[in-house]
Amino acid sequence: MKFDFSYTIDAFPWLLDGALITIQVAFLSFGLSLILATVLTVVRSLEIKPINAVIAVYISFIRSTPVLIQIFLAYYVLPVVGIDLQAFTAGILAVTLNSAAFTTEILRGGLAAVPRGQFEAAHSMGLKPSTIWLKVVLPQAYIASIPPLVNEFTLVVKTTPLLAMITVVELMRRAQQIFSANYHPVEVLIGAFTIYFFICFVVSRASVVLEHRFAVRRA
Amino acid sequence: MDLDIGIVIEYGPLILKGFRLTLIIVFFAILLGIPLGILMAVGRMSSKPYFRGPAVAVLEIFRNTPFMIQVFLLYYVLPFYGLRMPAEVVGVLALALYSSVYYAEIMRAGIAAVPRGQVESARAIGMSHVQALRNVVFPQMWPIVLPPVANQTMSLVKESSILATITVSEMTMSALIVQGITFRPFEAFIMITILYWVLNESIAFSVRRLEKRLQRRHSRQATTKAQDAAMAESLEAVRRMTR
Repeated sequence: MKFDFSYTIDAFPWLLDGALITIQVAFLSFGLSLILATVLTVVRSLEIKPINAVIAVYISFIRSTPVLIQIFLAYYVLPVVGIDLQAFTAGILAVTLNSAAFTTEILRGGLAAVPRGQFEAAHSMGLKPSTIWLKVVLPQAYIASIPPLVNEFTLVVKTTPLLAMITVVELMRRAQQIFSANYHPVEVLIGAFTIYFFICFVVSRASVVLEHRFAVRRA
Repeated sequence: MDLDIGIVIEYGPLILKGFRLTLIIVFFAILLGIPLGILMAVGRMSSKPYFRGPAVAVLEIFRNTPFMIQVFLLYYVLPFYGLRMPAEVVGVLALALYSSVYYAEIMRAGIAAVPRGQVESARAIGMSHVQALRNVVFPQMWPIVLPPVANQTMSLVKESSILATITVSEMTMSALIVQGITFRPFEAFIMITILYWVLNESIAFSVRRLEKRLQRRHSRQATTKAQDAAMAESLEAVRRMTR
């Protein structure tokens, strides 16, 4: 067999179509995960023992089991409990819950970068707890954790091809569909590979830009 | 929803067989991945552009693409060039290649943590660069890199589940088979979830103990605060890259 580049080119528009879904899934999951992780971080800082224990078990569970299994659990096992989700929704749910555990750990690091005195200063100025979090602490915690957060986003992008296993038609699934029709897996996969590389490479470089943009505010 | 214990008893052995294959695959992936990682780390740190260039390119390419597509590509590329291998072997190769990139970053931090002066002294007493690395740097590097290497190994265990997509009958695949026979996803996935969880938590547990032991020994060595901080930072960066 010979490598025939024309198959890559033919498949490319279809692959880009799939890449749009990939990006959509990645943004949705990461956005939701950021919200969930923020809530978990705030709740955890209240130091209510039983709740913190539950969060600890959740994080341990997510960190020590494969994402693929978590995706299967969301798609195949949740219906058993009566929660029947579509593949797309189940996929987003699984990736979100997965990423949120890691994002919570990242935000903990970001929170540690905010001096304790600021809580106390804001408190003594009479700010409400919600204002302290939203206006004083969280913005700084986010800015301090830009590099790991951007990195987490690329990890989310790299998780999305697993959704092909539960029939979400994103980039990976699209590639599989194309090469099962034309029997040229290498050419088609190279196309998908390039798109994934491009997305992740651009995103990881964005970290530098973002840091630069917010660096002034830190001073 | 109730757990059908009959299924657990009947198909437990099949799952355990998958568990064994997972362990074997991970073992060989580490065995291949670490030397490859060291090789890439040395290449990455080389002052010669024809070593450094390819090493950097490989590291960037592997780090910025999903493991699943790497597995697929390897699975289809090898026969393309006339190399027919069982899926298990392809799986081990893919895992080894993938993890070697992260091992390389860890080794780089480890090598950088050994004071430069020592390498220069070794060169000054007539050792070659390779000899200096082997006799001076590596022995001191191991205790430093052991915790992150173990961490990476945990993520290797998790990534190995993806090999189910190329028909390797490891643990995840056996759960899919059990689900296919019994139509009971709950029992099938609960079994492997617990096995993965226990396996990785026990690795994490032994790493934490090891880390404490090594820290005590490390604190006795004469390293400066700045050196320790720099190393902690680079190892933290490596830890962040994987999950």
